Amino acid sequence: MHLVLVLVLAAQLPTLTPRDSAFHALNRLAYGARPGEADSVARFGVMRWIERQLDPDHVSDDHLRDREREFKILDYNRADLAGRYRDATRERQRLQREAAASGDSTRMRNARPMQEFRELGGELQQLAIVRAALSERQLREVIVDFWTNHFNVFVGKGADRFLLPSYIEQTIRPRALGRFEDLLIATAESPAMLFYLDNAQSVAPRSAPPPPRGSFFLRRRFGMNEMPDERRQRLQRRPTGINENYARELLELHTLGVDGGYTQQDIIEVARIFTGWSIEPPERGSGFVFRDWAHDRGEKHVFGLTFNDDGKDEGIRLLKFLASQHATMHHVSAKLCARFVADEPPDGCIDAAVAAWQKTRGDIRAVLRAIFTSPEFWSAQAVRSKVKTPFEFVVSAVRATGVEPDDTPRLAQLVARLGEPLYQQPAPTGYGETEAHWVNSGALLARMNAAMGIAKDCASIPANEDHAQLVDMIDQQLLAGTMSTHTKSVILEQLTDVSDPVQARALAVGLALGGPDFQKQ
Amino acid sequence: MTISRRIFVKSGGLALVSLGLDPLFLVRAAFAAGRPAVMPSDRPILVCLFQRGAVDGLNMIVPHGEPAYYQERPRIAVPAADVVDLDGHFGLHPSLGPLKELWDNKSLAAIHAIGSPDGTRSHFDAQDYMESGTPGVKSTGDGWMNRYCQHDREHEDTPFRAVAFGPQLPRILAGSAPSLAIDDLQAFGLRVPQEAARDKLTRAFEELYDGAGTGLLASSSREGFEAVQMLKRADPSQYRPAAGVEYPQGRLGKTLLQIAQLIKADVGLEIAFADCSGWDTHVNQGSSEGQLSARLRELGLALAAFNHDLGERMRNVVVLTMSEFGRTIRENGNSGTDHGHATAMLALGGPVNGGRVLGRWPGLALEQRFEGRDVAVTTDFRDLFGEILARHLGATDLGTVFPGYTPSPAQFVGAIRA
Repeated sequence: MHLVLVLVLAAQLPTLTPRDSAFHALNRLAYGARPGEADSVARFGVMRWIERQLDPDHVSDDHLRDREREFKILDYNRADLAGRYRDATRERQRLQREAAASGDSTRMRNARPMQEFRELGGELQQLAIVRAALSERQLREVIVDFWTNHFNVFVGKGADRFLLPSYIEQTIRPRALGRFEDLLIATAESPAMLFYLDNAQSVAPRSAPPPPRGSFFLRRRFGMNEMPDERRQRLQRRPTGINENYARELLELHTLGVDGGYTQQDIIEVARIFTGWSIEPPERGSGFVFRDWAHDRGEKHVFGLTFNDDGKDEGIRLLKFLASQHATMHHVSAKLCARFVADEPPDGCIDAAVAAWQKTRGDIRAVLRAIFTSPEFWSAQAVRSKVKTPFEFVVSAVRATGVEPDDTPRLAQLVARLGEPLYQQPAPTGYGETEAHWVNSGALLARMNAAMGIAKDCASIPANEDHAQLVDMIDQQLLAGTMSTHTKSVILEQLTDVSDPVQARALAVGLALGGPDFQKQ
Repeated sequence: MTISRRIFVKSGGLALVSLGLDPLFLVRAAFAAGRPAVMPSDRPILVCLFQRGAVDGLNMIVPHGEPAYYQERPRIAVPAADVVDLDGHFGLHPSLGPLKELWDNKSLAAIHAIGSPDGTRSHFDAQDYMESGTPGVKSTGDGWMNRYCQHDREHEDTPFRAVAFGPQLPRILAGSAPSLAIDDLQAFGLRVPQEAARDKLTRAFEELYDGAGTGLLASSSREGFEAVQMLKRADPSQYRPAAGVEYPQGRLGKTLLQIAQLIKADVGLEIAFADCSGWDTHVNQGSSEGQLSARLRELGLALAAFNHDLGERMRNVVVLTMSEFGRTIRENGNSGTDHGHATAMLALGGPVNGGRVLGRWPGLALEQRFEGRDVAVTTDFRDLFGEILARHLGATDLGTVFPGYTPSPAQFVGAIRA
């Protein structure tokens, strides 16, 4: 394998120096280069480095493991969080009732029973930044981010406040470099997705849960002790038919793509197939459950297939079918290429990815390898052609300046201020990948401010009274020698009346990070 | 099939393809050339306030002539004696009293029973639909205000054309047309406390990006620095509202003050957008006094102050309030209301056909309700937004602003004076 890669590389890199190609790979497969990393990857061999990144289990990551221990969110499983969420919800309801009875709502405001879940959401964002900045398994972090965005779930929607951690940890991360089909099925079964796109509420028309049996606990749950008002509200809230949301986004966003050639009737049939895919109540851990009573047992016809009274297996069969469709391969491959190659990726790399997909039945590693060995990935048009997303910008700046991300929400808030609050995209499309989504005047000014802020903590550049040496050092450490002569001369000019070397460093680093060269990757 | 075309087709229907042929930066560069330093002060302006959380339209514009209203809300109905009567059937919540003079001079209208054709009672979905302008379709990438800006480019000669007040660009303004998110006018630009140092740093970045050649980075940064310069000339720190005008304390008052300031600075503002939250009154909503009353008081005072501050300038300004849905007709067990369907919106300003409650009132009787519990929607929100875009801002192609739907003049409620 390595020999093939080296030959491919030799044939396709007439213009890029080993260092330039290492920097390019670090910009796309990683969150930018740490100081000196372009050189070390070039010495190691860029294709060898790419192979290692494709096999992250053999890359040791001790420092990150130590840092992850600070995140208590990793100690909770979904059932823990579900229990805490249920307690918080009850506490809030109790406070609401008290407030209603006493006419005093100030106590309610001060108590903030849901505060813990807001904090957990913040912790999840910080964890994403720490991992992206520090992990030695950079490609894995990049591809986790890609799939998290492809299968977007909005953390702010109700139960997703507590369902998201397990979605990231158990659904996405273990499968990010596995097979697409497994990832697709896992997201379909994930409580986070079932809640986010409302499938948990999708039931066959005229279906109803079986009557409650026995225990005091169940009687309570099913309303024997309810106030009439509560009972009415509960009955009103009970779902009464199919919900098409998941079915629609499954076809349009997760698999076939908007041009995938399906109809509204197909969406309805798909929704019927997924009726009954739901979530256990919080007191039982909020896990996946297939509710037989809610499943539409009638015949469904979609994409030339017939599904008939086969319970949950209908959905699994459909997902496997979708994962193997050419439209899906093309749609997802094109999106991967937009991420790794260019905003408007050339056909060559997409075709290479689709071919690898077909050959390996959707092995994500093989698809990625096909993209990274395509001539388009290494073409002069691709290099430095993409604008960093806010997340990529902040993390790459942190890496370049050698700043150790701390355990405060500071960096996560910075990413949010630049327009990409993590896990907070309400639309199932996820965040956009192209520069048109991220570049606007207000956002650019915000990036400049962010750059000046990060520059103050810069640890990778020693203060230097010689401004020419300082700027050269910044060029090497932050931009692997790719700083434009224009940028260099503007920074030097700005330094002329700055005598304090520490101030000069902060200004020069800030201009370099906030300037146009560093926005690109 | 390129990514961009896919996004365009998905988000905007046919006409958006034109943008794919027309690189954004070229379009922007073309508009950036030859901008006048000061914009004419007679262009129409739309200011939108989003009441996030679903305002109770029935307690905002009270149907006090409707016995069912009092039957269903024994604890939270606004007593007829407290309502500021408008037309014998509807009246303002007493906390909106400061707006009565606008009603009397025919520059305030209410639109009742307005909402989405989609029946969702999720804040998240309903807000999303109201901002994307495509109820029922979740995957629309951009917002309707941005799509308006994409297609009516006549005014695209200023970085201040479309401004959202807040830390981030809201969904309604998301998209490929340039728009600004401003959290605080005085803090817009580079954050350096000392003015001389700030100017110097601004020039340095400006020079850096001047060398960035063409492309979106270059054109957007130019727009940004232009906006900074225009604001510097307008000098927001020196702004004083018109004599005797006092905006209420709080975020809403501050935001409306800044919008008034931008309008008076003649920087070319066409669309301003801001959020105002706190309307999700499930518990202890109150009636003439209480929780909702306090929010409405702030809203009423802020709108009245804005109106007085702008004075004669209101002749070409329309302020529109919107909210994702209304609330249940019947009060709940916690002296509040739950998520409902239709709500009410307010439109005020010189061009508004004021002094009336617009839209067909469906009534509150059981059989007149949506799903037996909520006010039915008789006006699709796209018809009101479309009317304002067409008759106030002069939009020519509503089909591209609201893909899959063409608001028709026959459906317009008549919010804008002919």
